[in-house]
Amino acid sequence: MSAVKLVIDFLDVRFGVRDLFAKELSGYLLPKKVNAWYTLGAVLLALFGLQIATGILLLVYYVPHVDQAYASVQFIMNEIPYGWLMRMLHAVGANVIVIALLLHMLSVLFMASYKGRREFTWLSGFILFNLAMGLCLTGYLLPWSQLSFWATTVATDAPGAIPVVGELAVEFLRGGPTVDNQTLGRFFALHVVGMPLLLLGLIGFHLFCVKRRGISPPPFGAEFKNAELLPMFEHEEHPGGIPFFPNYVVKDAAMICFFLALQLAIVFYAPTLFFPASAFEPADPFVTPPGIKPEWYFLWAYQTLKIFPNELIGLGVQGAFMTFLALLPFIDRGPERRPAKRPLFVTCYVLGILVFVAISVWGHYS
Amino acid sequence: MEASDVSPVQRRTFLMVMAAAVGGVLTAAAAWPLLRFLSPVGAGDAAGKVEIAREQVPVGAVHFFQHRGRPAVVLQQTAGQFIALSAVCTHLGCVISWEAAKGEFLCPCHGGRFSSEGQVLGGPPPSPLESLPVVVDGGLLIIG
Repeated sequence: MSAVKLVIDFLDVRFGVRDLFAKELSGYLLPKKVNAWYTLGAVLLALFGLQIATGILLLVYYVPHVDQAYASVQFIMNEIPYGWLMRMLHAVGANVIVIALLLHMLSVLFMASYKGRREFTWLSGFILFNLAMGLCLTGYLLPWSQLSFWATTVATDAPGAIPVVGELAVEFLRGGPTVDNQTLGRFFALHVVGMPLLLLGLIGFHLFCVKRRGISPPPFGAEFKNAELLPMFEHEEHPGGIPFFPNYVVKDAAMICFFLALQLAIVFYAPTLFFPASAFEPADPFVTPPGIKPEWYFLWAYQTLKIFPNELIGLGVQGAFMTFLALLPFIDRGPERRPAKRPLFVTCYVLGILVFVAISVWGHYS
Repeated sequence: MEASDVSPVQRRTFLMVMAAAVGGVLTAAAAWPLLRFLSPVGAGDAAGKVEIAREQVPVGAVHFFQHRGRPAVVLQQTAGQFIALSAVCTHLGCVISWEAAKGEFLCPCHGGRFSSEGQVLGGPPPSPLESLPVVVDGGLLIIG
């Protein structure tokens, strides 16, 4: 123990770590009634960390060229010791991140945590969600399987419905008229450098917003009162709340373990859950496999485009919905946060989830 | 609440030891696949033997090839007399080149000179080039 104390003393006189610990961890108080949904931010940080680690490891052997990409992934899966584990952790991890992101956003929406001058916390989170979707889309192409090729062909074809510039947008996305080596190069650069850099920057800004403005308390219980906003900046304090460390860190750790257990359970017991048969055949630009479908989290968008008679209307509806969600804190300005006192919002919320699930299931079986 | 025989300090120490033990096991469990994943794979052929067509090495000329993942060279000094050597300089690992006019090997990095048999003639190399066995089998040279 004395060695630990010596190290802490050494750091303390240089960086004031004890003061930092007292202010930012043990002295940082969270709302007394904070619940398990608040751990999803920490869960996502851990999952993104794992994605970055496994992604870097995959880069050691992956070759971003149409002639070698599929073979290099097979080499990782079959020849490299534990290559299958790294690849599966990465591929399954992407799906688990989407689940955690959806739960995080849905809980924030339900508790109206975006209210009380937290517009930029929500907006940065919403952009992060879209960026994660972009990472999923670009990563999907990299194994250069039939699934990769045709799912990307369908996804990059959608902007073609935009009048005047549609064709140009599709060619720009693909780097040519069809999905080819140029597309793989673009998607690879975006997936391993461009988007992760943006993601890290945005995560930093998101955390800054959360920390600077203060945690929004859960809007439940008889003691809860809607915050009264002062005409100046205010950090929302929680006197008498629970310490971030060790109390909430333990809860965060438990939830992180739960999500990692879920991820490992899929990797070990249901490794093909997110992989249809076409994911195990090399890409063939001349043979479209029957019934090609996007990943489950893009099914709603895929089916929406099919519902409307005109693809442009479908794209417009999607764009309008996403813009509405992005700007929700600027639109929903009322101070009330308690779900019981927001029946219209809760009805739309429940219906929205049901419609999302229904359209996705429809898309899957259509 | 009943009074406990275990003091808070003992409880804290126990928790810290347990957390460190669990953390240690988990770190080891994660480190092993990582170490295996990054371990070198496919370093050369398993038997360590390389076959080269005899006509690829004319008299007085050399032929460079890979042996167990490292550069090597074979020289036909006089008709039918073949010498195979590691092409990695024993000084700092640069690859030697053949100076046909002088009949010796030169390391371009720091000027190390080796005879056609791999012996040090000058410069900083501390030891001769590693020699590799050569068997002539009809039109084939079997090296390694």
